Amino acid sequence: MKVSGKKDLQKLQKEGMAILFPDRTRIMVGMATCCLAKGSAEVMSALKDEIKKQGLKADVVSVGCIGLCYQEPTIEVVQPGKPKITYGEITPGKIPSLVACIKQGKVEKQSVLYRTDKEELPLNGGRHIFSKGAPQKEFKGIQEYSEVPFFKKQRKIALRNAGFIDPENISEYIARGGYSSLVNTLASMKPEDVIAEVTKAGLRGRSGGGFPTGVKWQACRKAEGKIKYMLCNVSEGDPGIGMHKSLLESDPHSVLEGMIIGAYAIGAKEGYIYISSGQTLGVRRMEKAVADAKAHGFLGKSILKSGFDFTVKVKEGAGAYVCGEESALIRSFEGDWGEPRQRPPYPAVSGLWGKPTVINNVETLANVPVIMGQGAKWFSSIGSEKSKGTKVFSIVGEVNRPGLIEVPMGTTLREIIYDVGGGLPRGKTLKAVLAGGPAGGCVPKKLMSLPVDYEALMQAGSAMSSGGIIVMGEDTCMVDMNKYLLSFSEGESCGKCTPCRVGVRRMREIITDISEGKGREGDVELLEKMALLIKDGALCNLGKTAPNPVLATLRYFKDEYQAHIKNKKCSAAVCTSLKK
Amino acid sequence: MVKLTIDGKKVEVPKGTTVLDAARKLDIHIPTLCFHEAITPYGGCRLCIVEVIRDGATQIASSCVYEAADGLEVKTATDRVLELRKFMVELLLAEAPEAQVLQDLAQELGVKAPKRFKVRNELCIACGQCVRACREIVGVSAIDFANKGYEKKASSPFFERSDACIGCGTCFSICPTGAITLKDLAEGETAELPDGTKVIGPARIIDNWKVGLAMKKCKQCGEPFAPQFQLEHFTKKVNLAADFYDVCVQCRT
Repeated sequence: MKVSGKKDLQKLQKEGMAILFPDRTRIMVGMATCCLAKGSAEVMSALKDEIKKQGLKADVVSVGCIGLCYQEPTIEVVQPGKPKITYGEITPGKIPSLVACIKQGKVEKQSVLYRTDKEELPLNGGRHIFSKGAPQKEFKGIQEYSEVPFFKKQRKIALRNAGFIDPENISEYIARGGYSSLVNTLASMKPEDVIAEVTKAGLRGRSGGGFPTGVKWQACRKAEGKIKYMLCNVSEGDPGIGMHKSLLESDPHSVLEGMIIGAYAIGAKEGYIYISSGQTLGVRRMEKAVADAKAHGFLGKSILKSGFDFTVKVKEGAGAYVCGEESALIRSFEGDWGEPRQRPPYPAVSGLWGKPTVINNVETLANVPVIMGQGAKWFSSIGSEKSKGTKVFSIVGEVNRPGLIEVPMGTTLREIIYDVGGGLPRGKTLKAVLAGGPAGGCVPKKLMSLPVDYEALMQAGSAMSSGGIIVMGEDTCMVDMNKYLLSFSEGESCGKCTPCRVGVRRMREIITDISEGKGREGDVELLEKMALLIKDGALCNLGKTAPNPVLATLRYFKDEYQAHIKNKKCSAAVCTSLKK
Repeated sequence: MVKLTIDGKKVEVPKGTTVLDAARKLDIHIPTLCFHEAITPYGGCRLCIVEVIRDGATQIASSCVYEAADGLEVKTATDRVLELRKFMVELLLAEAPEAQVLQDLAQELGVKAPKRFKVRNELCIACGQCVRACREIVGVSAIDFANKGYEKKASSPFFERSDACIGCGTCFSICPTGAITLKDLAEGETAELPDGTKVIGPARIIDNWKVGLAMKKCKQCGEPFAPQFQLEHFTKKVNLAADFYDVCVQCRT
């Protein structure tokens, strides 16, 4: 049905709530790529069979990623009057006893992780109470969501719906407040007011440089020309992380709604979502979201009778890290090589096909509906002085609870690694944390009080980038780690400019020599000199950030390089050509 | 018109002029490598970089693609710029030490070949002049860049024999390092292309694009004067009579 205003939306909200919290059993299975990789498809199949077999009447729903990657596959059970129960590490073999318990309204005690008594509905400003009063005997001994260490310090804003809704059902998105921001914005705000609000909120780009979103929108709005484009950048390229992928698969509408509001603000009539190759599930979910949004009147001509036209198409890229860089993305989009152009001119003034273009990251856009719904003042009360709001991180590596998390900016590395991440397994000692992947830098153990925000990370020689946090223990060789990161950047370099094409390759060759016991006197000084010159001379941010890991490891772990070069020693026993 | 300052000297240029062209108007020399006035600038070699000061902020920018703007302040030879230019040449010297253009730049900038890097001996330095010339001047787009990153080089599609090359030799003449080899085989002379194809003259061979094109002989003097395929291309393109190229230029005049 086409929504024409608040009343229609409220009707859909009510319908959606009845789906989310029905008067019968609802079983949710995590089916994002990470969950699927751990066998959730087989679990889903076994569940459907068993439910039929045991004659259980239940709604079985695929949901996105709840972030508990270390305990996937997960299943959540909602039954009227009972707290929501979350189960983890489910296998097809555990299904029969689980279904038997669900049928009796009981908890399967072997696989239960936690219970949820009440759920915040982020945009409604409301909450859903699963079970009133003191917990019944059956649920008493089970930890409540708000006490679960993994979730305690998290604050879900961008990921507000991830794992809670069926990402392919727009009614569930609407039930949790979705599209209410769009409705209110188009009904009562001028584009300039939207830009002012987003600027006041202090929203900064959630991947790469952290450029103020409001400033970018303003530059595009002011740029000459009637035709403008709104682009969403989902070309997550860092190895080993999946925040963007997750948002697409778990809550595509949150991105879409943010994009529509952004397009309204800048005056764009056409929008494109650029998704890097290989994200099959994400592409499918986003295409469905676009189709459903269109069917409901959130896309198309004169959206919600506002006179604002906007259509969106999904476009797949060919899969290159460099295409995360705006100007390379534009070229790739235009059908040319994914090579960056020098800026100025900036895309906001001259971008896609020479027209003013805004390119926003997925996570940035997912925040927009919340800012418009809850207000700039509320948003800017979260986070640190210059970095407002929250940030989604993929926490991986030598950590007990690897997963997808969202914490307020300014949370310290120590809190993230130990409180949320549960510290290192097998009693290992922390050596360093790599933030920002190949564009970032490792932060040594002694700096764990570092608050995670754009400025603090940069000053420490690291970077926010898209939000990868890799925990490294005492058995990590920093020379070897550096070689890996540089090899990645070397392989992803487009090859246009000399300093990156040749410089990064030559740096990597020297580090390879060092890791093989062929390091020479003067190599450390040469690496530092090259790193600084490449940073200064490279054409785009791939080249400008590729040397970061080199500079960071030289800053904090120079003695390891010296040991490799002078004594042919690798104390972490990683470089096999060297002795320990 | 826009007014800017380069190395302290004021200059006024039409809107759309690059900083490089504005500097040339003032007879200020900025070295280049991937630039050629007959094709669109690329900005990749980073030899022509300068310091550009705009709205109080300084940026290192390729002058060949930076559009001049009112109030811009440009510095073409600061210590920062010179150190970067030297670095570019150092890197490229290890790629193609035999290239005369690099040796000349090395001398101009006072650069010595770096000893730490293993010499690669690859004359193609991915400047793209041949690619842009073939696309923009000749209009056949027989070649483009292949591979990305360090392995990036000009190539025929899939490194196989180019079927669009008309053997005009523009790539050969424009290449700054001499990475492209072009040879005309005399009557009866033979050669083997890198893909094993045997070619018998009169023919033009370009090893890089695995091209061997039979030359057309003048009906009047009997001398081979241009690749047959090239003449067919122009005959079609400009709608000439089928016998237009039967007689060579010399015999016509």
